[in-house]
Amino acid sequence: MLRFMARRLVRLTLSLVVVSIITFGLLQLVPGSFSDLADVGSTALGDQASSDDGGLAGRYGDEVPAWEQYATFMRGLATWDMGPTYKYPQTTVEELIGEAFPVSLSLAVPATLLTLLVAIPIGMLAAVKKDKLADYGSIFTLTTIQALPGYLFALVLVLIFSVGFGWLPVRGWNGPEYMIIPVVALAVQPTAMLARYVRSSMLEALRDEYVVAALAKGGTKRVVLVRHVLRNSLIPLVTVVGPIFAALATGTVFVEVLLGIPGLGRLFTLAARTRDMPLLMGTTLFFALVLMVMNLIVDLAYGLLDPRIRHQQRADSRWRRPKRPRMLRGSPVLGNNTDHDGGGGGSPAAGSPDAATSMGARG
Amino acid sequence: MSSLEQIRQGIAAAPASANDTSDGPGHGGGSGDRMRAQSELGRGWVRFKRNRLALGSLIFVGVLVMVAVAAPVLAPYSYTEQDLTARLLPPLADGHLLGTDQLGRDVFSRLLYSLRTALMIGFAAELVALIVALGVGLWAGWRGGKAESLLMSFTDVMYAFPSYLFSVLLVVIMGRSVFAIILAIGIAGWVTQARLVRAQVLKIKNFEYVEAARSIGTGGVAITVRHILPNAVGPLLVTTSFAIPGAIIAESGLALLGLGVAPPTPSWGGMIIDGYTYVLANPHLIAAPLALFSLTMLAFTWMGDGLRDAFDSSEEDHA
Repeated sequence: MLRFMARRLVRLTLSLVVVSIITFGLLQLVPGSFSDLADVGSTALGDQASSDDGGLAGRYGDEVPAWEQYATFMRGLATWDMGPTYKYPQTTVEELIGEAFPVSLSLAVPATLLTLLVAIPIGMLAAVKKDKLADYGSIFTLTTIQALPGYLFALVLVLIFSVGFGWLPVRGWNGPEYMIIPVVALAVQPTAMLARYVRSSMLEALRDEYVVAALAKGGTKRVVLVRHVLRNSLIPLVTVVGPIFAALATGTVFVEVLLGIPGLGRLFTLAARTRDMPLLMGTTLFFALVLMVMNLIVDLAYGLLDPRIRHQQRADSRWRRPKRPRMLRGSPVLGNNTDHDGGGGGSPAAGSPDAATSMGARG
Repeated sequence: MSSLEQIRQGIAAAPASANDTSDGPGHGGGSGDRMRAQSELGRGWVRFKRNRLALGSLIFVGVLVMVAVAAPVLAPYSYTEQDLTARLLPPLADGHLLGTDQLGRDVFSRLLYSLRTALMIGFAAELVALIVALGVGLWAGWRGGKAESLLMSFTDVMYAFPSYLFSVLLVVIMGRSVFAIILAIGIAGWVTQARLVRAQVLKIKNFEYVEAARSIGTGGVAITVRHILPNAVGPLLVTTSFAIPGAIIAESGLALLGLGVAPPTPSWGGMIIDGYTYVLANPHLIAAPLALFSLTMLAFTWMGDGLRDAFDSSEEDHA
């Protein structure tokens, strides 16, 4: 276990370095260096701007070679002292991130909880009612919902509850009532994904022999479902909830910008629009760090919960991570991975109800 | 009967439902032989058109494309024409079907042109992604070895790096021209597809007909182009049909962040973020792009679902 963790930590650091090199390299190509921006600032604000730049010129000035700027920044990242930003020379990158991250978290945590609360019952219901109207209806709705980006739901909610009823504020960040729309909007898509995942995971568990055994022992359907099926299908859930949380903690960019919430996403956008290199580097790497740490935690937790995974992983090649449900890999493609006979297109085997209904996700 | 059930019956080529008689009498061996004689695409099409939701979506997408192409003819006003005396008009006022925006521009005309922006960038970005993905995926799948491990490690990094972050960075570098945005979205999106291509190649290259082709001395490039690519076309079509709406979402998202196509070219994301300031008094500024955007997304999704069921072989991207 320790060796596994050490190897994962090394890989995490390496990935982070690669991301930082890519980001920094790309940003070197941006037209307009720091000194250009500083010139604009000094002509507009007089000369005191340059005397009060918090050592920016010393860090990112023209005479400092690129690799040195990079090294300075990375040293700063490692020691959590990333220095001032172009746009706000008086504050530091870590201060800005420190202010914004709690805001993003206060959306991500309730949204994750809401997702869990809604998705598990829906998924269970769909699994129990398999091949009935409720199942088809919910799966169809969930697939459809999953195709729409979260900010569209935010807009719908705004149109209904802010414009229509006038119950909720349109934008801003000033108390709990400002959280409702973003939290719900953020939860919709993960809920659809998780519900489908719970469904297929439960269907798989239902097929196992211990279910038959529990029923044969005289357990009622309800007890068997909750105690045996649900419990066992919750283990793989860990792999989904972690990335959902990470995506919510970082991927709220569009909702934050739309609703004017001062979180990480808006900070990142601000940095991108003003070409604020230190702030952009800082937020990007912070995003990547959160995602990777979350992945690591998930893998560790999964290994603890289900020792089979660890054994499997040892046999795997260096570059492979443990199997994740396909829905999490960025591609919305969720096919059933059944037959490999390319010729038998219309073979009846491919159409067996299980093959057609369990939407992949056998991770 | 739910449409999903129909989809399933489509896959199974099981006895079709009663209202589904267009396909002739045979479901037995004769029909199977006839189908086998067709190409991969032809077989998929036969199954695809049984799914009415997917077929309807395909038609709707076709209509959208035609509307986008014909936008200059259909739009009653120019999308740049400002009339500051007629700002924020409600729908149906004064000859403006969907009213006007904060600069007095006709919302309906801007909606048509933003459809044009969205589809053009969506299709073009996906084309870029597909070309890169095919190149890298075929190479990695066929040659294996170093190319493969390089691709896999690169994709590992890219998975830890949300693609919209990458797009934003690329737009920051290249500017907000249409060309730059197409490239930014395409480059950020090719990784998943490259893995799919590679997985397909790995699968197909073990088939007997590839071995047969190799045994009679066919070269690697010829086998790839003539034998592997045509048989991978189904899964590719499926991912492409899902990737295009993804690219459209990315385009709108960039515009929402103020990093999309430079104004005055309209885009859904831009219309939404501009209109949002006035949403309380003028919800039509948001509702119009929201509705068309959602409909477009749904059409692409249902079409993609139909394609996936018709081709029935979207692959895991590992292997």
